[in-house]
Amino acid sequence: MRPANSYTLYWMGVTFLLFPILILLGIYMRTVQAGGLAGTVTWFYPMMTLHGVGMVGVWYVAAMACAADILGRYTEPSPAVRGLALGGTLVGVLLLLACVFLGKFAGGWYFLYPLPFKGEWPAWSAVAFLLSLTVLGATWLVWTLDLLRAIAKKYTLTQALGWHYLAGRDEPAIPPSIMIITVSLIAGVAALAAGVIVLVLFYQELFTGAASDALMVKNLTFFFGHTLVNLAMYLGVAAAYEVLPQYAGRPWKANKIVAISWNTVLLIVLFAYFHHLYMDFVQPGTLQYIGQIASYASAIPAAVVTIFGALLLVYRARMRWNLASLLFFLGLIGWAVGGMGAVIDSTISANVRLHNTLWVPAHFHTYMLAGLVFLVFAYFYHCSQEAAAEPERAGRQKLVSVLMVAGAYGFFLMFYLSGAYSVPRRFATYPAELAHGGAFSAIAAVFATVFLVGFLLYLAETGSRWYKAMQTAS
Amino acid sequence: MGIRLLIGACAVILSLAAQGAAPGVSVQESRLIDRAVPDIPLQLADGRSVQISELWRDRPLLVTFFYRRCSGVCIPFLEWVRNATREAGGIGGDYRVLALSFDDADTASDVAAQAAALGLRDSPHWFFAVANREALARITGALDFWHRYDPARRQYEHNALIVGIEDGRVMRALVASGVEGGRMRELVWELRGSFIPFYAVPGQTALSCFTFDAVSGETRLDWGMLLLMLPALLALAAAVGIFALGSRRNRGGMKTIAPGGAWITSHR
Repeated sequence: MRPANSYTLYWMGVTFLLFPILILLGIYMRTVQAGGLAGTVTWFYPMMTLHGVGMVGVWYVAAMACAADILGRYTEPSPAVRGLALGGTLVGVLLLLACVFLGKFAGGWYFLYPLPFKGEWPAWSAVAFLLSLTVLGATWLVWTLDLLRAIAKKYTLTQALGWHYLAGRDEPAIPPSIMIITVSLIAGVAALAAGVIVLVLFYQELFTGAASDALMVKNLTFFFGHTLVNLAMYLGVAAAYEVLPQYAGRPWKANKIVAISWNTVLLIVLFAYFHHLYMDFVQPGTLQYIGQIASYASAIPAAVVTIFGALLLVYRARMRWNLASLLFFLGLIGWAVGGMGAVIDSTISANVRLHNTLWVPAHFHTYMLAGLVFLVFAYFYHCSQEAAAEPERAGRQKLVSVLMVAGAYGFFLMFYLSGAYSVPRRFATYPAELAHGGAFSAIAAVFATVFLVGFLLYLAETGSRWYKAMQTAS
Repeated sequence: MGIRLLIGACAVILSLAAQGAAPGVSVQESRLIDRAVPDIPLQLADGRSVQISELWRDRPLLVTFFYRRCSGVCIPFLEWVRNATREAGGIGGDYRVLALSFDDADTASDVAAQAAALGLRDSPHWFFAVANREALARITGALDFWHRYDPARRQYEHNALIVGIEDGRVMRALVASGVEGGRMRELVWELRGSFIPFYAVPGQTALSCFTFDAVSGETRLDWGMLLLMLPALLALAAAVGIFALGSRRNRGGMKTIAPGGAWITSHR
């Protein structure tokens, strides 16, 4: 039995509260696309904005909460900064809810410049949206810097990045999770700094009327958004490196290969976002090629090393399968499957066909929902169970996994099929020529509901442990 | 003649200043892009009658407006267009130029005299032409070419306009401020069939990542690229700074790892 950290438990509570609401928004959107709820179609884009920003934000902070909790096993992140991050996130969420529900702000999750200034929503809602991002970005940046400070308290930079492994030395032994978290946090500072610059440019236009170069702002926006999503995924993977060995009864050590793969991520991940600009013909061709190469180089080494390592860890091990180990394993599979979709999408010749279709939401839903969400859920369950030490019911835990996997993959399949059949993305309703898009949407809504049922069962399973853990939290 | 040129040059400068200050310049230009140009009848300086479409049939056409009795911007502007097209190259092979009088009082011999004054009478790539009132109204209306007759001065008030036309549609237009050399070069570059990735919007954006060099036809990095690199540099500085500060502290005071800690467990 190991008492849980109270802040980790608070983050779990926030996640458990917001996630089902955001799922319902997703089901609402698919229902509208299927031709249902026709009277509410004007809410489609505000809800798309809230669903997108909300999901990205919730899973980023959830992954950060896992990282902070892992670091808490080795070093001491500041409780005050953890509190600031939690408070700042709640304020940001309130501002976001206000601009969407009261102002019908619908600039999309990446608020592409100059859309926030050009929509039909009132100016104040665009300002509230920018303020929301400012509060979230600022507090997350402080949080990121504090976690780096905590790592620096125990390790040198070269140790934390595992450079001694590159030099052929095995000592000091560095947990792979520390290496991955360090890489992710350093890249996270860059992503959040890019976000700060974007916001400064928006405020500059707001207060002085001085316009910005749209191509430059789009580059910075995706530097911020794409990188942040990537890093959230990596933080979830760090949790798997940290915890899965406990269930396998074997170590998952860092070594030269692991160090090479994750240092490659640090070197390359900042350039991968260029693949979001393939459709921008004014972006110089050189950057487009860099985007394709960087997308491959940042995804493949780390994923191959991790998946291979996980398979070796589990192969013929005396695995103790429970909800945590199952979800960790499924999460790594989801990362691999979604990653394949992402690599295909980042291939220029394929992207030309797929970019504006539902293939894009297909791949990012795969690695977010079946990858990151499963990994974080695994970690949350693990923490709760470690603190609560309640007897586990294998049948119910398998049912939770089956429902979530069936719901998620059925839901993804409808996106992939829609993409393959050229159904465009970001359409609230489909014209007659794309009626098959509506049919796919209806089936997707059913599968999403199955996932939601699975999640509610997960919540029942984890929630009771979470509640018990709150009583003994440190 | 000298005084007339001086007045004309001043008019160009004042026009540029006024247009530079006006926020709607680029909007006015962009509104014209892809607009259909009416196929009007023309009478050329040599007396031939042609349809304007015959001039853009096999290659793009650069159209500008003037009138013979203009004591303002027309003549300096035509001289500038002549010089700019010579510098940019491609005239004849890649495009032709039409200088069309918008004063229906001008005759073919008037515009022929103007061509001669500019040293262009024998150029096979330059056309000076007049048109009837109805045809002029159609083309000036289609191209938003603003002009107004002032009977007191017996002069037209008007702006300066250059329009690139391909297959009967506007491919690009420059209004007065377009007489900057770089933008004229861009227009010529486009008339020659080359792809222009960036159009500068004068005075509207402080920083861009890339610019198009109309002289060399190359895309070049601009100061905004520094802004793209800044986040990575900040992250690097933050990481180095934080770990440098951390190394000064005593790393011996590390937290003891809980016995149940995952990593310890995994290394048993």
